[in-house]
Amino acid sequence: MLSQEPRGRTLPTLITLLVLGVLLMTFDVRLAGGGVVGVLRTGTQTLVSPLQEAASYVVNPVADVIDSISKVTGLQSENQALKSELAEAEAALIAVHDQLARLELFEQLYELETAGNELGRTVADVIGRPDAFDEALIIDKGSSDGIAIGQPVVDTNGYVVGTVKDVSSRSATIVPITASRQAVTVMVGDQIGTLSAQAGTILMRLEVFSARSPVLATARVLTAAKSANFPAGLLVGTVVLDAVPFADVLTTTVEPFMNADTLRVVVVLAWPPDPVTPRLDDTVAPVESTTTTLDSTTTTTEGDG
Amino acid sequence: MRFPKGLLVASILLFAVVVQTTLFGRIRVVTPDLVMLIVVLLALTRIRPELVLATAFFSGLLVDLLGSSLLGLRAVVFTTVAYIALRTRERAELGRFTIAIWAGLLTLTGVVLLVLIGTLFGQSSLLGPNVVRSMLIVPIANLVLAALLAPLFVRMVNQDTTALRFS
Repeated sequence: MLSQEPRGRTLPTLITLLVLGVLLMTFDVRLAGGGVVGVLRTGTQTLVSPLQEAASYVVNPVADVIDSISKVTGLQSENQALKSELAEAEAALIAVHDQLARLELFEQLYELETAGNELGRTVADVIGRPDAFDEALIIDKGSSDGIAIGQPVVDTNGYVVGTVKDVSSRSATIVPITASRQAVTVMVGDQIGTLSAQAGTILMRLEVFSARSPVLATARVLTAAKSANFPAGLLVGTVVLDAVPFADVLTTTVEPFMNADTLRVVVVLAWPPDPVTPRLDDTVAPVESTTTTLDSTTTTTEGDG
Repeated sequence: MRFPKGLLVASILLFAVVVQTTLFGRIRVVTPDLVMLIVVLLALTRIRPELVLATAFFSGLLVDLLGSSLLGLRAVVFTTVAYIALRTRERAELGRFTIAIWAGLLTLTGVVLLVLIGTLFGQSSLLGPNVVRSMLIVPIANLVLAALLAPLFVRMVNQDTTALRFS
């Protein structure tokens, strides 16, 4: 089947390149994406991102047309659903205006001042993905827009998308929670657990240690205050299956609200607002982390921030 | 006027990377692996085999650097696919249809290797929700593109209008 090609240095070249490739992979694993590898990634992205941005100006309308054609049958029903959603949203907005007016009145009565700790938000367009097998998203905003590695990313509804993995001056790479090796510390009801991605499915695995009560399907999962990577109270998803604690451990599956395939716009949160907060004794608190092995892949669990 | 071959191949690869990460990053229905296809088709050109392997390696490295997965993963996969392509190219040069099948099979080998090696190195992100679909769609998309573009690509790179003209 294979052709005989005795001359040349094809095989030695192949072996050399494969060894070099394996060495690079080992380096990347050891450096956890930082160091020289991080510099290389940032440099390459800085060089390629202007081309990607320019291409996205041409590509986005084409992609939108193709998207619309593939969804043309459902457009009418989607339009109806959107109209009713808009009516509900307008009603909710009026209620919120009333509540804001009351809040303002109470603030004046009790002479309260706002804490001024609102998170900075950077809205960015999703301009692409590396390839069919890499779930990462490439966005058109980078360090020049204030984006930094590790910042949390949500969609336009405020649902958790993931975190920033790499940043160049004009673009950034986001790893969605459904493809991340790092679990998210979440809260379901009054219980705290970890939510990790699973291979081959969009559903995520929720584990609650020291579980006290059952978790019911449709229960909402939010980021916990203990989370080192996300601010507390962001919506993540809903529990798919009822689960009861077994030997103090509760395990179930969660369907995330966000869908990485349909994301066009994301919001990067400037969180934590003050990334290096010294302790009272003027030492910087390190982020603790533990590592557990699940399904033959290593999952890093967030520690207390 | 003749365009330097190295510059031409580099430009085509850069174009493929940009199109792959933007256009096919947005359209999830049809997702070829353009860079892997170019690497496979380079085996049909008159470029020296060692250079084809080196080009495959650095193309893979470029895609790795733009993505979130392990650095060197696609470099290893693309180099292996390029080697198999070099060793089997004589079987492919029978006609447009055989080239398409050959490119499709090599892409299938590539995506299987990508998932296997990625899993061995703990890249669970490669086993996302669409992994099975992608493992089928990517080789088929590359097969179709190879049928359409292979002769044109080889003629451009070889700067020979008679290359891959099938009767």
